[in-house]
Amino acid sequence: MTSAAAPSPPAGPPARRRGSSLKAGERRLAWLLLLPAFAAVAALVAWPLYVIVQMSLRPGRALALSQLMSQPLGLANYERVLNLPALWAAYGHSAVYTVGSLIPAFACGLVFALLFHRAFPARRWLRSLLLLPWAVPGVVVSITFLWMLDASYGVANAMLRDAGITRADIAWFVDARTAMAAVIAPTVWKSFPFFTITILAALQSIPASLYEAARVDGATARQQFVHVTWPGIRRPALLAVLLNALWTFREFDIIYASTRGGPAGATETLGILVYREAFESFRFGTAAAIGVLMLATAAVFVVLAMRFLREEFR
Amino acid sequence: MSARARRWLLFALAALVVAVVLFPVYWMVVTSLLPSSVVLSRHPPLLPPPGQVSFAAFAEVFSRRPVLTWILNSTLVVAGSTAVSLAISTLAGYSLSRFHTPAQKAAGAALLLTKMLPGSLIVIPFFVMFTTAHLIDTRLGLIVANVAVGVPFATWMMKGFFDTLPRELEQAAAIDGCTPLQALWHVILPLARPGLAACGIYLAIVAWSEFVFARTLVTKADLWTVTVGLQSFVGEYLVDWPALMAAGVVSLVPMFVLFLLLEPFLVSGLTSGAVKQ
Repeated sequence: MTSAAAPSPPAGPPARRRGSSLKAGERRLAWLLLLPAFAAVAALVAWPLYVIVQMSLRPGRALALSQLMSQPLGLANYERVLNLPALWAAYGHSAVYTVGSLIPAFACGLVFALLFHRAFPARRWLRSLLLLPWAVPGVVVSITFLWMLDASYGVANAMLRDAGITRADIAWFVDARTAMAAVIAPTVWKSFPFFTITILAALQSIPASLYEAARVDGATARQQFVHVTWPGIRRPALLAVLLNALWTFREFDIIYASTRGGPAGATETLGILVYREAFESFRFGTAAAIGVLMLATAAVFVVLAMRFLREEFR
Repeated sequence: MSARARRWLLFALAALVVAVVLFPVYWMVVTSLLPSSVVLSRHPPLLPPPGQVSFAAFAEVFSRRPVLTWILNSTLVVAGSTAVSLAISTLAGYSLSRFHTPAQKAAGAALLLTKMLPGSLIVIPFFVMFTTAHLIDTRLGLIVANVAVGVPFATWMMKGFFDTLPRELEQAAAIDGCTPLQALWHVILPLARPGLAACGIYLAIVAWSEFVFARTLVTKADLWTVTVGLQSFVGEYLVDWPALMAAGVVSLVPMFVLFLLLEPFLVSGLTSGAVKQ
């Protein structure tokens, strides 16, 4: 079918003039319009990133920028951080949290998208309702699950009791053995709509004629999925996985608002560790060093993922 | 099975899925409507007993906690940051969509990359910079911090919208004697109104949800936003769950209204990698 990519370059609007042939006036306008965004990004993204790298290279506890920049340069922060057991634990927690959230969120997102792509009454309304969790602030998601998973009065334990599964008061967020699962649950709830949205849009772009042809050829539902549906949604679905992996990797609100990384560091991901190091221990230098390592990890992941995606879409 | 029966079966299945998925929201509402004596039970009723339903928790949370102040602070920060981000991003998105220079492609990639920055990391230099600039404990500081997050993705979103408008529009306007800026103002922007609305709503949802900046860059309780106020309940010795859920419900109402306005755009045209914070 369409697995052999067409030799033409990616279709963009044709006949766009190249930069060199832009008229001087147009070029000036182009830059003028970009200027405020450039200024904002330079002042509020590039400069802060530079400050982070500077901080990570300056041992000491200075809080003011001027004080900080007068500290001598050195690698002591990195030395301290790399010998920190909490750092390696946080790497592990981040990996478990990211993968553990991503898989169920993707599975739910895919299944719901396939269901809501079918025609049935009131579909538009039900679809809006299904996607609502996406718009719930992380903090609100967090406190809602904190209440539902409360040990004594939580509705989750009540349901387990009524179903006769367990009589124990499971303290989901407080017990170190269940805390990770407890922070993953709200994360999945908030992030599956993104997959549903992306995959629904991709499903809409698959021509109905492909399904008709498959039916004429006697393809089963499963064969239709493997040979028509999945090739049609694979690219946006994998991109969505990549983006969501990055967002989950840096997630802060849901975990901090429920456990603050506890109990005993059981849910302390890198994003939480960075924050606690800076604003609970007031060690900005080591926090910045952890942050630099975190960014480097994300960058390595993106490079590897892009290589994989490029192979995939060749 | 007839096609009709199959449709209704699918409807039943979809309704069941929605019911399960929205249970946390339902439970939040139920809890907010019941007195503590009913809620704090090892076997809470899944359907609220009609005689017990009351709005006492709402009255209590509004009288005991400065919920209205939190809402006001959030509203000011959301309005300010959304307006500034939208203005900056509309111009930049238009430029990226219409004029292709190599430098601008690099700028686009840079904007995209900034979406990957963890909020709990970028807040550290913000704290240091804002201390120097005396922006700690100001709503202006929160607006500035939200603009940093908003501009990159809103620029990409607006670029996506402008890409769908044919270039012939400006050419026709030029023939009619418009300067490029006049064409943008009188021809393109009116046509991009749905895009501007969707982008603005999206920015507002993200800014309303924002937590780490508000939690860190503001220390005075009378400048707290809704998310910081809600989080302050957690960790108290005895959490007043009905009151907390009532405050949560109040914080969700504007989000749900905005979301229902935004939703048609989400599925149709907006998914080209731009959506989500």
